[in-house]
Amino acid sequence: MDITIENLKKSFGEKVAVNIDGFQIKSGEMLGLVGNNGAGKSTLFRLMLDLIKADTGRVLMGDTDVSTTEDWKDWTGAYIDESFLIDYLTPDEYLQFIARISGRSDEELQSFLADFEHFMAGEVVGQKKLIRNLSAGNKQKLGIVAAMLLHPQVLILDEPFNFLDPSSQNAIKHLLTQYNQTAGATILVSSHNLQHTVDICPRIALLEHGVIIRDIANQNGEAIAELENYFEV
Amino acid sequence: MTRYQLYKLIRRNDSLKDERHPMLEKNRFMKMLAIFMFLYYAAILVLMGVMLPMGFRGMYNGVSAFHVMDGLVLYLLMTDFWMRFMLQETPAQRGRPYALLPIRRSFLMHVYLFSSGFSLGNLFWGFLLVPFGLLAVMPLLGWCALLRWLLAWWLLFIINGFCYLYVRTLISRHILWVLLPAAIHAALLFIMLWPEENILDIPLTEMMYQLTLGNVLYYLAIAALLAILYWANYRLQMTMVYNEVAQKEEVEMKHTTEMSYLNRYGALGEYLKLEMKMRMRNKTIRLQFLTLLGMMILLSGLLYFTDIYDNGFMKSFICLYDYVGLGMTMLISIMCHEGNYIDGLMSRRESILQLLYAKFYFNSVVLLLPFCLLIPLMIIGKISVWMNLGYLFFTAGVLYPICFQMAVYNKETLPLNQKLTSKQGNWVQQLVSIMMLFLPIGVEKVFTLLLGNPWGFVMLAVLGIVGLSLHQWWLRNIYDRFMLRRHVNMEGFRASR
Repeated sequence: MDITIENLKKSFGEKVAVNIDGFQIKSGEMLGLVGNNGAGKSTLFRLMLDLIKADTGRVLMGDTDVSTTEDWKDWTGAYIDESFLIDYLTPDEYLQFIARISGRSDEELQSFLADFEHFMAGEVVGQKKLIRNLSAGNKQKLGIVAAMLLHPQVLILDEPFNFLDPSSQNAIKHLLTQYNQTAGATILVSSHNLQHTVDICPRIALLEHGVIIRDIANQNGEAIAELENYFEV
Repeated sequence: MTRYQLYKLIRRNDSLKDERHPMLEKNRFMKMLAIFMFLYYAAILVLMGVMLPMGFRGMYNGVSAFHVMDGLVLYLLMTDFWMRFMLQETPAQRGRPYALLPIRRSFLMHVYLFSSGFSLGNLFWGFLLVPFGLLAVMPLLGWCALLRWLLAWWLLFIINGFCYLYVRTLISRHILWVLLPAAIHAALLFIMLWPEENILDIPLTEMMYQLTLGNVLYYLAIAALLAILYWANYRLQMTMVYNEVAQKEEVEMKHTTEMSYLNRYGALGEYLKLEMKMRMRNKTIRLQFLTLLGMMILLSGLLYFTDIYDNGFMKSFICLYDYVGLGMTMLISIMCHEGNYIDGLMSRRESILQLLYAKFYFNSVVLLLPFCLLIPLMIIGKISVWMNLGYLFFTAGVLYPICFQMAVYNKETLPLNQKLTSKQGNWVQQLVSIMMLFLPIGVEKVFTLLLGNPWGFVMLAVLGIVGLSLHQWWLRNIYDRFMLRRHVNMEGFRASR
């Protein structure tokens, strides 16, 4: 699914959060979004998911303007923060809820979860804990799994490596790369972890003050030098 | 930084917390309403303070008005106690932001206990007592006695405040602790109301009189009681503050409910489960539900067992309240709890529409509860079958559609599992609440006037059935309007989380 951003602008008072004249992400592409705090990464994702209203411009998924119809929700999975989780459910109930409202059977859900066993490390499903009582890392894992549950054609994850232990960070990198290759899904990932982003994303956009200032090709991990230079790491 | 400077800083942060509360900061009307309500209740108390001396003067032969007032001390203290649940936080809740700062926890607790216990709120009853004392105490005993009388009342309210703090802290551990003050107050009421003569009347009046006369022994007793309560609160709060910081909530659930009987309804069944689990697993909502259920049972019980509400209006009002109470509490703030996870809901197609359906069906089924509760009253003939049916259908078919309109306009997130202090709702919510309580009675009266009995209630039922049969249409309409306002609402939900 192609994603096209056209003349997209969003301000909060005087502060311009996002200001992108034009940007296109090709179907099946895996894009990393990097930038300093307050650069507008989360705001851009929220605009793409129609969670906030753009001042001007639009986001197209295929030919669908996300602000005019709900069709795109059928093929899009996303996890931005805890406001995606219903914290008085257990993880199993939450995943079952997402699966069932999307018309998936319990068998399909179980078979899907089998692929994530290593990632969840036995600490997410099968627990008699409410989501509100999970650790930040386990909430993050649950959000990511729930976002991928419906085999979306477009997957948007905001800072997916946050709160995760090193082995889970590696596991999610592997899962995302594999999913991108097998399902041909368009994946957008924002992160402050330059190395992880470079490891999995063949294309990286550098966002500052709401503007995409660099669009870096990263077929062989060559973007790391440019990014480290920019962030003065 | 000296201890006094630290004390001032903590107090300043507290007042900023109140001033910058998201529900107040963005809502000028709420600020005005809060001031208006304060002035309104103050004016009522002043009026009572001016009128009561005259009323009490001739009540008992040879008994001064202020003695009569002193005899009512326990009633006032009980009222004050339960009112505090709406307005006062416990120190353990307030101390949480400082828990990890280099401030001695004992000092922090003293600051909060002192400011809670001796807060200006304890002076609110002064609007009643000062004018009353000026008219009833001062002319008989002079200025000094008046001041001592007022001081005595103030000290009793402070003692009451410390009792409240203790109980409130216990309740935050387990809701069943609410039975402690309820049992004590019920026992006191029983002692005061049941026997021919109120055996507490004379000792209480005497105690207040001695305090008014400045009897040092009585003041020493009061001071000792205050000291004991302060110490008891300090010990309890110090234990509780660790629990607050560590959030020692029940981490492991004993049982989870599958509710498989709802599976047959597909996606709608899942939203119904969500609605039910929201009420079962979140303290604030569960407490609201249980409180209202208690009120319904209490009022219906009073109507059944006594004749104090036997006039037509009160019977009608109680019957209506039983129907409206539960739905009104949850539906006036419809979507506000969902504000906590609105982004997740909004990233699924038509999830809000399904949620609205689930809420409507769930709340309609809940109406069977008051219906059953009112059956005994129908059997003994205190309320008519038509009244019961009329309010049942009118609530589901007319009042619910009105309440559901709030889904379009509500945009303030309410916490699911934390105590909510001073929740008043915005002006539209207040207006709809009032409308829900009085519209049905008004409509019934108009039709009864036009068509006679029992046509008022029959018409309520008919209007309700029409509304029920159109529920798919009006729910879709609400959903469409919600979607038009979705960005404004989501922004509000996020800002008030």
